Amino acid sequence: MTVHDMKHAASDSARLEAVGGRLSRVDGPAKITGKAHYAFEQQLEGLTHAVLVSATIAAGKVIGIDTRAAETAPGVLAVLTPDTIMVLKGASDWLGNPPAQPTYNPLAREVTFSGQHIAAVVAETFEQAVAAAALVKVSYDETPAIVDLSDGTDGIPIEAMTKEWGNAEAAFAAAPVRVCAAYNTPREFQAAMEPHGLIARWQGDELTIWEPSQWVDGMARTYAEWFGVPFENVRLVSPYIGGGFGSKALALAHSAVAAAAAKMLGRPVKLVLNRPQNFTSYGGRAATRQTVAIGADKAGRIQSIVHRGVNETAVDGMWVEPLGSVTAIMYATPNFSSKQNVVRVNTVVPGAKRAPGENPSAFGIECAIDELAYELGIDPLEMRLINYAEQDPQVKKPWSTRQLREAFAAGAEAFGWAKRSPAPHSMRDGRQLVGWGVAAGTYPVRRAYGEAMVKILADGSVEVESSSIDMGQGTYTILAQTAAETLGVPVEQVTVKLGDSLLARAGVTGGSRLAGVMTGAVYKAASQALDELVGLALSDPRSPFHGLQANTLAVKDGRIASPRGEGPELSIAELMGMLGRERIEAKGDTVPAGFTPEQRYNNYTTIAMALPHTEGDYSRHSWCAHFVEVRVDEDFGTVRVSRVVSALDSGRLYNPKLAESQWKGGIIMGIGQALLEEGIVDRRHGRIVNGNFADYMLPTNADIPDIQTISVGIPDPHSSALGGKGVGELGIVGVAPAIANAVFHATGKRVRDLPITLEKLI
Amino acid sequence: MTSQTHAGQTIIDPPEDGQFRNGQATNGSTPSPTTLSLHLTINGQTHALEVEPRVTLLDALRERLHLTGTKKGCDQGQCGACTVHVDGERVLACLTLAAQVEGRSVTTIEGLAGEDGTLNAVQAAFLEQDAFQCGYCTPGQIMSAVACIREGHAGSDEEIREYMAGNLCRCGAYPHIVAAVRQAAQELRS
Ligand code: FES
Ligand code: FES
Repeated sequence: MTVHDMKHAASDSARLEAVGGRLSRVDGPAKITGKAHYAFEQQLEGLTHAVLVSATIAAGKVIGIDTRAAETAPGVLAVLTPDTIMVLKGASDWLGNPPAQPTYNPLAREVTFSGQHIAAVVAETFEQAVAAAALVKVSYDETPAIVDLSDGTDGIPIEAMTKEWGNAEAAFAAAPVRVCAAYNTPREFQAAMEPHGLIARWQGDELTIWEPSQWVDGMARTYAEWFGVPFENVRLVSPYIGGGFGSKALALAHSAVAAAAAKMLGRPVKLVLNRPQNFTSYGGRAATRQTVAIGADKAGRIQSIVHRGVNETAVDGMWVEPLGSVTAIMYATPNFSSKQNVVRVNTVVPGAKRAPGENPSAFGIECAIDELAYELGIDPLEMRLINYAEQDPQVKKPWSTRQLREAFAAGAEAFGWAKRSPAPHSMRDGRQLVGWGVAAGTYPVRRAYGEAMVKILADGSVEVESSSIDMGQGTYTILAQTAAETLGVPVEQVTVKLGDSLLARAGVTGGSRLAGVMTGAVYKAASQALDELVGLALSDPRSPFHGLQANTLAVKDGRIASPRGEGPELSIAELMGMLGRERIEAKGDTVPAGFTPEQRYNNYTTIAMALPHTEGDYSRHSWCAHFVEVRVDEDFGTVRVSRVVSALDSGRLYNPKLAESQWKGGIIMGIGQALLEEGIVDRRHGRIVNGNFADYMLPTNADIPDIQTISVGIPDPHSSALGGKGVGELGIVGVAPAIANAVFHATGKRVRDLPITLEKLI
Repeated sequence: MTSQTHAGQTIIDPPEDGQFRNGQATNGSTPSPTTLSLHLTINGQTHALEVEPRVTLLDALRERLHLTGTKKGCDQGQCGACTVHVDGERVLACLTLAAQVEGRSVTTIEGLAGEDGTLNAVQAAFLEQDAFQCGYCTPGQIMSAVACIREGHAGSDEEIREYMAGNLCRCGAYPHIVAAVRQAAQELRS
């Protein structure tokens, strides 16, 4: 549980503090002084350290584990193998589906991917555990592995991904202008700077887990099911999260190992994945392949889109990266077909990475429409406007809000798009070829129900509590702003507590849903608390407002008075004193009336209850347009992004300062995706060979130009209580195609295979 | 196997074949003394520490001294999250043994603000410019930035980008980090 006092963060202007104000992060002072203690930095008496031994083959059987040397190494407390670790119960999946198997062993005898956990060493110190783990000898019976998508078959059709209307194949065949190409994205990794890891401690049959988490309640459910204890017996604490990007929402095999070891040893266990293990212990973005065929008339109007996609999944797990999600909605077309397969390869189950589905989907369609524009000699921006979708082409419902036309206009204006020379290879600066590219992006508005506790305390301060989390999106800050504005108190009087499963429940922090869900819940809880305060002030005989001919009171700057200003005016603390109240608290939620306790539990611990973005009368999405300048060295083929202007529609922004940071972060991850990032698999043993920060290249400061973001959103009442849409995932969607399109404009070479590295250009 | 005391340190003689494994000489002799007594000066305070020679400065800070402000991102010298100052220069604590900094002055993020809590100009600029999101790379960025300015490598945005390129930020706060370093450098010059 983390408490923020707001002294450093407080601003002197009420406008800054209100919802929509540019308040600095309230968790900022703790983070810049080293006082923010992340989950597995807790200091516990008797803490032990566990280190994992991972498989060095991608397929086969473990036929022997020689633990003798490790067991006698200094400081070693236990060496756990598949035969000696306690067997857990199977746990339900994130949809709440019951487990496929009744039992679960987090250490593997049958290896299905390189890096799978085989054994674990627990020792008194980290150094002892590392050294002893190196002494564990595993022998294998290795069998041939399916290394990547190119080894696989056509794969398994995923019928649920099929989207079709009209007669796409026939209309494509009949179209006067046609483009058709294949687009590939490699395996990519979330690569959060904070590694995955945890501390597990048992006290009787109560388990406390300190673990960075995007979903405190969902992960607590998994632990409870693994160990067969009631949900209430598990406390999951995640005060700060050092980046997640989709990777930290689930309790994973290494989590189970640590919790089991703690139970077996009767001592708290800390287990942190080393950096290479962070590339193999949980899934990054699946490698994908798509073909996009677009048929159009001579004026550039799309007649048909035929889309086929495939993504890799694991031998013993299923991940579908929805490749047709943007394809189906970005442009108006009378005929459409999208189908998708998955191919099983020997990898850890791929997972969610920033904008799963939308990100690779946009790479396909946003490059393809660019190709169509050049085919027809139409400006790529104009091409997008010609085919602007006035409603959702798939579900045929109006958009809740779609400020994409405004995004194109604002971005083009700020970028200076009108000055672009249309022909490829026609702009240069010395030995550098200059290219300008554009692409659009979108992300659906995912909605869910949330809960929050708001407490007004005797001293007039306010506490907001929620089990939701802040991994850098700014939850602490925007919830403080929401409570301050709703209650009429200065923001420095508000304390926000997050990241603890003991607190009011919240669902997953993913899919850019949390801000919308939680501002709504806090608004509701704070309104209830305020109503109670005002009600008491008017009705309690001890109150100076008692008997006043008013039916309400106003609170401003922490002081309460009648709205017309007659009568007394006093601070909340003074009023609380007169009322003799220690606290007024209200738990507010946005859960529909009549939800059973079980439905509520499922709402917070599974994703099954999330509301579809096309539910009801509208189709809800955030939108963006990226304008990018690249410079390509004519001799060496090196690509630098030299300018980015992005205009984004995330609806109403709760805090533009923080939203801009998130957008830019997404854009920068997109630059990495376009130019640098690629998991490389050794074909002999199916091993990720660049599983570290030097060889799996992330963008560095020197790779990133200044980035201009422009908000073109308007409040969207259909998307959330306060009018916001998603922020966190949106920024990355469309960046890679904008860069690929700019590279084509610079060089005349179309690279359809990410990342765009120099050997693909020379 | 003998040990000798030298300037407050226990120096372990290497075994005959020069090989150690898990604190034991691989030549089968009896276990050697496996800990060093160190006195480390961190943020102006002296800490006495009994650690194995293989303990890094980073793990000494985080696991022994409970100074967790210095972050471990990779433990391989590839990310900069563990950046601290040793005698005023930026070093990677994950690539430095604790024993190497005896007699030197180590500053970590916890020691950067004034005694009264006054933020360093770089810290204040990071907050104002929103130069972080998750905050995990941030202590390393700030320690690097302080040194970068002190080294005279904050003369232009170009130069700041180059000299801050050893500190990865997956949240992508780079443009705001550049703005914060520029702002702090200007304030410190004036
Ligand atoms: S932890 Fe030291 S450089 Fe990454
Ligand atoms: S702020 Fe999250 S890694 Fe830099």
